[in-house]
Amino acid sequence: MNSIKVIFKKQRSTIFINRAYATTKKKIHDRNEENQLPIFQYPVSKSSDRRVYAWGMAETGALGVHLPRGKRGRKSYINDFKYFWHPMRSSFAERFDVTNIACGYGFTLASIKTNEQHKIFGTGINTDSQIGYHAPRMGHPLELLLSPAPIYVPYKSLETKIKAIAAGRAHTLILTDNEGVYTLGNNAYGQCGRKINENEEYKGSMVTHNIKRLGKENIVDVCCGQDHSLFITESGRVYSCGWGADGQTGLGTFLNQAAPAAVRGDIANEKIVKVAGVGDCVLALNDKGELFGWGNSEYGQVPVASDQQQVNTSYALVNFTKGIGKIVDVAAGGSFCLIVNDQGDVFVWGFGLLGLGPSVQHSATPKQIPPTLFGRNEFNPESVVAKVACGIAHLAAITNTGDLYMWGRNRQGCLGLGHLRDQHFPLKVAIGAQVIKVECSVDHSVAICKPFV
Amino acid sequence: MVYFRDAATAFKSLNGLLCVYKPACVSIKQVQKTIKTNLCRDLNALPDRPLEQRVEIVGPTNEPMEVKLVPNYADHPLACGPRYINEDFRCSWGIHLGLFTSGVLLLGINDGTRLTYQLNTARITRAYKIHGQLGKATDTYFWNGRTMERTTFGHVTREKIDSVVAHMQAAHQKTMFELSGLHMESETMYELATQGPIRPANNKLPVIYGIKCVYFDPPNFTLEIQSVNEYEKYLWTLVHDLGVQLKTSAHCTGVQCIRQGKFNVDLALLRKHWQLEHIAVNMDRCREILEENEGLVRPKSAKLNL
Repeated sequence: MNSIKVIFKKQRSTIFINRAYATTKKKIHDRNEENQLPIFQYPVSKSSDRRVYAWGMAETGALGVHLPRGKRGRKSYINDFKYFWHPMRSSFAERFDVTNIACGYGFTLASIKTNEQHKIFGTGINTDSQIGYHAPRMGHPLELLLSPAPIYVPYKSLETKIKAIAAGRAHTLILTDNEGVYTLGNNAYGQCGRKINENEEYKGSMVTHNIKRLGKENIVDVCCGQDHSLFITESGRVYSCGWGADGQTGLGTFLNQAAPAAVRGDIANEKIVKVAGVGDCVLALNDKGELFGWGNSEYGQVPVASDQQQVNTSYALVNFTKGIGKIVDVAAGGSFCLIVNDQGDVFVWGFGLLGLGPSVQHSATPKQIPPTLFGRNEFNPESVVAKVACGIAHLAAITNTGDLYMWGRNRQGCLGLGHLRDQHFPLKVAIGAQVIKVECSVDHSVAICKPFV
Repeated sequence: MVYFRDAATAFKSLNGLLCVYKPACVSIKQVQKTIKTNLCRDLNALPDRPLEQRVEIVGPTNEPMEVKLVPNYADHPLACGPRYINEDFRCSWGIHLGLFTSGVLLLGINDGTRLTYQLNTARITRAYKIHGQLGKATDTYFWNGRTMERTTFGHVTREKIDSVVAHMQAAHQKTMFELSGLHMESETMYELATQGPIRPANNKLPVIYGIKCVYFDPPNFTLEIQSVNEYEKYLWTLVHDLGVQLKTSAHCTGVQCIRQGKFNVDLALLRKHWQLEHIAVNMDRCREILEENEGLVRPKSAKLNL
């Protein structure tokens, strides 16, 4: 027995030795053979090239990605095509030069750079003709568009350029450079800026309304709330129309407003550069970086002395935001407000998933979201937030390096994090390009990006 | 300079962490062997302990015998070999550096082997300088591989490299949270996240905390990377990926580790200084650094150690 063992040992050891010393001659390649290789040139993008990424709810068609049906009997759609879990690059933006995007409630608009008739494309829910009249069969207008379709707008000149677009719950504003604003869609509360007709049928409507000038001034920017519209003119005056039950028109009443009128209160003599709001609360920013607000204040978004829950004239929030410094960007969601100052610090107040951790649901005063969450640390001290955006219940911030951070309620995957769980603090969204602008709405988000190279 | 009275006291003092500069193309095993050999050489050159004595009882047995002490030649180095041999030393590395990586290497000598294990599990951050070259891709991602592709790189500018590199760094933020081992929706996670970078719970996936381009002179460039859990090949692929993102190709021409935790490249012993005196001084310096930074070896929180 012992001898057998010895033999085994010997054999094993010999095998081991063989392995240890077994070498294969490495194939040594010729250093000169690389000179025979061709030199490739990969295509490089132009500096004006833009990419559009979309994520969130795909069933409404708002993402503009329509996968064609296969043959009958086969599965007509790929598995689980309900949501886009991660930002997906839109092929529409590869065919056209997209300049602006806007997200409404379940629909998306994109304006393109062209001198032809079709300057605006829309996709998604079209129950109120907010993305135009599309009828493949006479008399049967589509209520849902799965891929982008051009919107007919009666421009006076084909040279007209689109400066801005905005989308609300069911209406659309299109700002042109010298023809004023065109409005489409639902006008039940006067949000399209024309006379309210109780019996108007919005489905399959072909009506577009043109607002040339307001107060004898050109309009330079537009913004849509849920069912109200806001316009900024050249001198920084803000005009509004639409639903006023929460005071979101800022006209001193709670009535609906059909014709755009100047917002009253503290902003009357200020030069406003930006207004923001996707819900019923409106924030405005003047050229000195001071904040104003009006509209719904149920969660203390616009704290006024009288403790009103509906603020119907604009209030200066200068004392409220004392110590924050010059504000550079604002955004207002359904129940919270988000601002960023010139130092790149982000402040949030209101109710909801604010980004202050799972234990903080409500904040009555502006609270800073720790800058480390936006990637500022010992290794990257220069990373600061430059722009912010809000959906109804989710929030977004873009840093100076073009990275997008999102947090909040993850309704239908609108955060683009690959799951449906809520996110309690800012997290980087995987987009392979520099984000320039992000638009959020109820259940989807769209970003315009610039390729790196 | 430390002066040792004799070899025995010198050997006893050789317990602890050592910071050496590993040259490229020399494996860690070779470094360990060289250091052990050099230590043995220097210890054997020091004054030896006195030779052991042998008791010799001589004389006729029927008379009072003579007891005398004579030198025991069985204990003589010429008979039993040198006093210190390589096997007397235990030597382990803290964080592995690949064959082609040069730079700071932490070694534990004798009782210091425990320290290297603790440093490894504490996942201290490492900083690397990675040299790359644009315009060529190789099959190994390193300069020694076969050339697979040649491309133009005239369009690459410093700004483009910077933006791509910043994006690559930010993309690791999510990995960092996932590897912390905490639930994303917990309050603990939030509190940890607000403190800054988080240490990964295991050593499975590389995490990058910072990348920046520190030198750019086309086609050559240098990146500075702060990371945890990385390995040589991963750093090479990083350069390759950068090349792809820049719409060209790139390969790595060299990797240098410039910092491991608080041990930076100034502290590292060069190969010509791998001698007993220098090693003893270096060990003292390393011990001081460990005492100054208590969290380095046994961290109390999941926050990242610099």
